[in-house]
Amino acid sequence: MRYVLRRLGFFVLTMWAALTLNFLLPHLMPGNPAQTMLSKFRGELNPGELHSLEVLFGLNTNQDIFQQYISYVHQLLTGNLGISLSEYPKTVSSVIGSAIWWTLGLVGVTTVLAFLLGTFIGIVSAWRRGSWLDSIVPPVFVVTSALPYFLVGIVLLLVFGITLKWFPSEGAYYVTTDTPGFNLTFVQDVINHAILPAMALLITLIGTWILTMRNTMITTLAEDYVRMARAKGLPGWRIMLDYAARNAILPNLTGFAMSLGFVVSGAILIEDVFNYPGVGFMLLSAVDNEDYPLMQGLFLLITVAVLVAILIADVLTALLDPRTRETQ
Amino acid sequence: MRRLISLGVIIGAGLLAAGCTAGSGTSTPTGSSTGKAATTANSTLTIDNENGALWTCDFNPYNAADQFLIVGFTYEPLVYINPLQDGKATPMLATSWSWGPGNKSLTFQIRQGVTFSNGEPMTAADVAYTFNLLKGSNNPLDVPGDWSVLSSVTATGKYTVTMDFAHAAVPFFYYIADQTPILPMDIWSKMKNPATNPVTDPIGTGPYIMSKCSPENITYTANPHYWQPGLPKVHTLQYPAYTTNTTANNDLANGQAQWGSQYVPSIQSFYLDKSPDYHDWFPPTVNVSLIPNLTNSLLSNVKVREAISYAINRTNVSNIGESGYEPPSNQTDIVTPTFTSDLSKAAASAWGNGYDPAKATALLNQAGYHLSGGVMTNAAGQKLDFTVINVGGFSDWVADMQVIQQDLKAVGIVINPDNLSTNDFDTDLYTGKFQLAYYDQQIFGPSPYYELNNWLNSAYTAPVGQTAATNYERYSNPATDALLAQYAATTSAATQQSILDQLQQVMVTQVPVIPVVEEVDWFQYDTASFSGWPTPSDPYAQPAAYNYPDNEQLLLHLTPVS
Amino acid sequence: MTSALVAPTPTRIPAGHAFARIFRAVTSNRKATVGTVLLLMFILIALFPGVIAHDSPSLDNYKPGLGFSTAHLLGTNSFGQDLWAQVIYGTRSMLEIAFIVGAATTAIAVLIGVAAAYLGGLWDGSLNVLTDVLLVIPIFPLLIVIAGYARGDSTWVLITSITVTSWSYTARQLRSQALTLRNRDFLEAARVRGERRLYVIVVEIIPTMTSLIVASFLTNALYAIIFSSGLQFIGLGDPNTVSWGTTLYWAQSEAALQTGMPWWALAPGICIALLGTAFALLNYAFDEIGNPALRPVRKRDPARKRGPARERGPVRKAERNA
Repeated sequence: MRYVLRRLGFFVLTMWAALTLNFLLPHLMPGNPAQTMLSKFRGELNPGELHSLEVLFGLNTNQDIFQQYISYVHQLLTGNLGISLSEYPKTVSSVIGSAIWWTLGLVGVTTVLAFLLGTFIGIVSAWRRGSWLDSIVPPVFVVTSALPYFLVGIVLLLVFGITLKWFPSEGAYYVTTDTPGFNLTFVQDVINHAILPAMALLITLIGTWILTMRNTMITTLAEDYVRMARAKGLPGWRIMLDYAARNAILPNLTGFAMSLGFVVSGAILIEDVFNYPGVGFMLLSAVDNEDYPLMQGLFLLITVAVLVAILIADVLTALLDPRTRETQ
Repeated sequence: MRRLISLGVIIGAGLLAAGCTAGSGTSTPTGSSTGKAATTANSTLTIDNENGALWTCDFNPYNAADQFLIVGFTYEPLVYINPLQDGKATPMLATSWSWGPGNKSLTFQIRQGVTFSNGEPMTAADVAYTFNLLKGSNNPLDVPGDWSVLSSVTATGKYTVTMDFAHAAVPFFYYIADQTPILPMDIWSKMKNPATNPVTDPIGTGPYIMSKCSPENITYTANPHYWQPGLPKVHTLQYPAYTTNTTANNDLANGQAQWGSQYVPSIQSFYLDKSPDYHDWFPPTVNVSLIPNLTNSLLSNVKVREAISYAINRTNVSNIGESGYEPPSNQTDIVTPTFTSDLSKAAASAWGNGYDPAKATALLNQAGYHLSGGVMTNAAGQKLDFTVINVGGFSDWVADMQVIQQDLKAVGIVINPDNLSTNDFDTDLYTGKFQLAYYDQQIFGPSPYYELNNWLNSAYTAPVGQTAATNYERYSNPATDALLAQYAATTSAATQQSILDQLQQVMVTQVPVIPVVEEVDWFQYDTASFSGWPTPSDPYAQPAAYNYPDNEQLLLHLTPVS
Repeated sequence: MTSALVAPTPTRIPAGHAFARIFRAVTSNRKATVGTVLLLMFILIALFPGVIAHDSPSLDNYKPGLGFSTAHLLGTNSFGQDLWAQVIYGTRSMLEIAFIVGAATTAIAVLIGVAAAYLGGLWDGSLNVLTDVLLVIPIFPLLIVIAGYARGDSTWVLITSITVTSWSYTARQLRSQALTLRNRDFLEAARVRGERRLYVIVVEIIPTMTSLIVASFLTNALYAIIFSSGLQFIGLGDPNTVSWGTTLYWAQSEAALQTGMPWWALAPGICIALLGTAFALLNYAFDEIGNPALRPVRKRDPARKRGPARERGPVRKAERNA
């Protein structure tokens, strides 16, 4: 319990750090870009919108920086992320809403798949050391884990999207003919459009899982209790899964949390290559349009999502591994 | 653990299977994000114009960000003026018009028998109301800028409107007649704040009604009560929101969209080669120019500016930076072939050969500069070494600048491109905080006057540190101002041509800005499904979907191919 | 003495011997050899680009869209530039970024990690919190926001922002190792001798952590490559420089894949992959050298004569136990 509280405390601390960073960044940049943006849009915004942006970027000249920071945090806690300049007059929160589901779907499904598949292959490869599987696994996946995410995307796009035309090469669904909803055409269409980006993400993510799992598994297999299990005459697969894998998987879980940052980077680049309308793609679009409120809002959203995922992973670790509960 | 894994495998296989069947299903995966319409494809036209953001579904015709989505479709102007045919006028909601004495008043006869899409008849009262809605200093609705010259607008009869001018401003006919869409008074007078009130159900006199809007796509359907009988022939329009160029271009190439307004890289292999029915046409409009800050001590020397102009190989810039789509400009600032008839032979021959590095070097030598370490230096030790600001997000302009940099380096002038964000660029450009800048005029009208006026009129400039409206280079010459004022006061074509000739002389002798390439309208079209598109031999309207109200003319000319 | 290099916990080694040992370890480990060869190849290309590519990358007089030929090994792009030249000259920029960011980030990580471990107490606590927070905040979106504000200024913005944000992972690793060293005998001896703290840190602790520091450098260089090329690819680098990432950016904005010029995108992409692989292989090899249990199991062939068999004594013992 204390462990969970500690992790929650850490979560709040990191959230606070991200908020503060968000606030300070435009001030730290030479020529305060937020100020330039505001002067440009001053004539087009109504006083309420103008004020919310001033608070968001700490540009209120009547208050000192500390007071501005307080107003900023207060505004964020009320859920006001400001006005999107490229989708004026929509608010940032309403613009983000449309993109979240696409990224959650793509990234969520792919990460789970990568974790499951990767862990499984890692376990088997470690168990069967010296076999043909084990001799190809490390080199192949060392290479794939070092591949830049967009390269895999580009190759898949070129081969399957453009040359062979097996799958659509962009977007999430056909906007002019499909109506979003739970109808079969739409669902089929969404899956069809998601295959290439999902494959690209999967290929780049899976390498790390496999290698980490294999390494921890190998170390675990050298432990005495595994030897004991073998001596007892238990069947191979049982030792592999119940004795070794179960213990080896725990560091993987913590590794999962830490590598979420890379999952996010991969997702952003893959969404860019395939023009998949998720949160990452929207962030890049916001940068292109110099829509600073939207940029900020998306950054906070991504950070919160990553932190929540890590918190869940931590709680899971606490539940599965009694050792963590004791040492904390 | 094992069960989890098998579950994962099953899910994965299921997804793959579903995907494969979906791939061979009704919607053929041709690598696009728009599907072919299930109905007879001919009755639906898909428009392909990348906007960079999703739609906001606000259709206010006086909101600069959303205008292009509704003016021409639902809202119409009094007169359609074609800039590509020297301002040829087609009466729309006005049937005729006449200038009063001294060209200080303008009277329109309004067309009878026109109804708005809600059934209400359109009269002079609606016209007068529309103009008066824009009135007021700093009124955000006055996007066309009519009230900078108007003093009053009144309905002097059920179908007559008279406008009085504060001073003669004949060129403003274009903004008043062509760029001011007419609103229904009944609906707009009831709005609390027309400037900010979102218009989700636009009512106008035009050929299309906006029937459905989502952030990803807008659907328009033909207005059954449109005042031109039998038109429009195309029943449905789809206008998807493209946020990147690549998505938009892919849909064009795959035939999923038929009317393109896109910059397509390597268009021959990307688009034109894919079908004999694919065509393109890029009519030039205004010049993209290298803008010298005339207050800079080195650039204030006209010989230096002339040298820069002669040193740039505009054909190269056009071919390499713009893939050959944007023709090279000439120093007279006349865009050809659009305004070739206005070109002054005297000015053109005075300028001579556009690309002449030898002449550039000679001019620099005359100005007292000689090569020292590869850079032109004068006796005082000052080097011709400048920064040029550019918009970093416009990749073709960045590419242009790289070519220009090499050209100028060859004659000993060093320029260092500074690629900025649009916010920073705008600030620096308007306040004159630059040495050189690369930009165009955001204005195109039915004669070269509009661009020249923006560049040369001292009313549009300001000292360095203050905001200049359009005269960024800080050019000021009373003789030129007099010429521009004279043009504005006359309707005589002969006088106008004579003044244009003199303005071209100003351009080649005083070199206030250095035009490099000509901006074009982006236009791709598919003749397999529709005919009646504008072409170089029949330029009945500006062809891009983002040109309004020209888009209306195009839509009215289209016929589905059976 | 050989065991010094293979033992999981490092002990003191005189510097010269360490180098010889590293050399031998590299040549005996297949991954390390491949990685080193790749890396050296790229370094050579970066140092002498003019020897390998006869054109300047910015020369744009050729016909656009040419295919492979002896004049243009990779063809030309839509601007008429030679792609082979683009890729060769781009090597230098990428290597500069990798090495500078790798070194700078490692320096920061060493500083913070070792300081936290050695100073302990409140210092350790606060540095730890800083490290953990930065570890968890997603770096790539943060870099995008920073670069979005700075908007394509120069490569130095790229280098600085990546350095400042990505030191936390290796700092953590270094701190863990430094912690295990704190109470070792030789440090106790230095303390008793009366050496100052700084001396102990710089002269005693850091050299002992050499292999982890080198591994950290390799990790940081790899991530520098991944992040910088990612940022350049989406257009947040300096588009006027010649670098693999910016070549990819131009390829994307000119629709290289859709207009029959796929090598404009594939060539720099593959180079990035190869360089990244080189660093990853070297990193992996370092792991294996440090932890013998991870080494590839080679089938023992009693017929084949083993060279320096006696030196490998302890190694074989570890293999048998695996």
